[in-house]
Amino acid sequence: MPNDTWPSEWLRAVLPLCVLAAVADEETYGYAVAQRLQAGGLGTVKGGTLYPVLNRLEEEGLVTSSWREGAGGPGRKYFAVTTAGAEHLAARAAAWQSFTERAAGLLPSVRSSR
Amino acid sequence: MTTDTATYRRDLLRALRSHHVAPERMGEIVAEVESHVAETGETPVEAFGPAAEYAAGFAGPRPLTARLAGIGLMVLGLACGWLIANGIFGLVTDERVHGMPAGVALLVGALLWLPPMVGQLRRQQPVADPRTGRRITPGPGAVVASMSVFLVLLAGVTWLLALLTQ
Repeated sequence: MPNDTWPSEWLRAVLPLCVLAAVADEETYGYAVAQRLQAGGLGTVKGGTLYPVLNRLEEEGLVTSSWREGAGGPGRKYFAVTTAGAEHLAARAAAWQSFTERAAGLLPSVRSSR
Repeated sequence: MTTDTATYRRDLLRALRSHHVAPERMGEIVAEVESHVAETGETPVEAFGPAAEYAAGFAGPRPLTARLAGIGLMVLGLACGWLIANGIFGLVTDERVHGMPAGVALLVGALLWLPPMVGQLRRQQPVADPRTGRRITPGPGAVVASMSVFLVLLAGVTWLLALLTQ
């Protein structure tokens, strides 16, 4: 399946966790997160989808943000993971792995459906 | 700032205001949009969709008191317009307005303009750009001026109509 045609409900479910994972790797800003998600194969995530997710993570205390001067640009908003965010990510990543394995077990395998 | 971005900023601020988003939050949302499109080279509409739709995602519940205050201020505004229009007609035709001298009706109308003006000033709290700290919405002076211009225009048009129909 091409990268940009994942069903939107799958993306909605996994996006907060993937965004949190990108921020947890290193302090970063919105556009870099979007590039990271695209490089990881999730397709293009537009600003209108990304920033509400980042804002929700911040409201939940999982990330913090601060504005910094950009290189000749108008300034960037950097996001960093909090301790609670790192713990949340570890717990949810493990749960997600278990969930997707179980779901995969219920689906016909690609080989058997051919 | 490009025309696209400037227009989007204006529309987004207006839409966020209509959804009662807090001023600090409005500044953050606008700055996020502008910073992001400066990096990607997209237009704000390409990256965030129409301003009204993007702002709707931040809508919070509107308290009952705010809704009642809005209705109250609208009623006062209508009463003000009515008294000023009739007061001017009364002055031109030398007739009383609702049993009071036309000048008094005009004065009461002008006084009724004050609560909507104060309400608008409270509603339109300044929004600052978190990157620079600079204000990105009109200040109190501009709000008062725009509302006063409306009142003066209303009075002028009414006076002309009164003269023409006398």
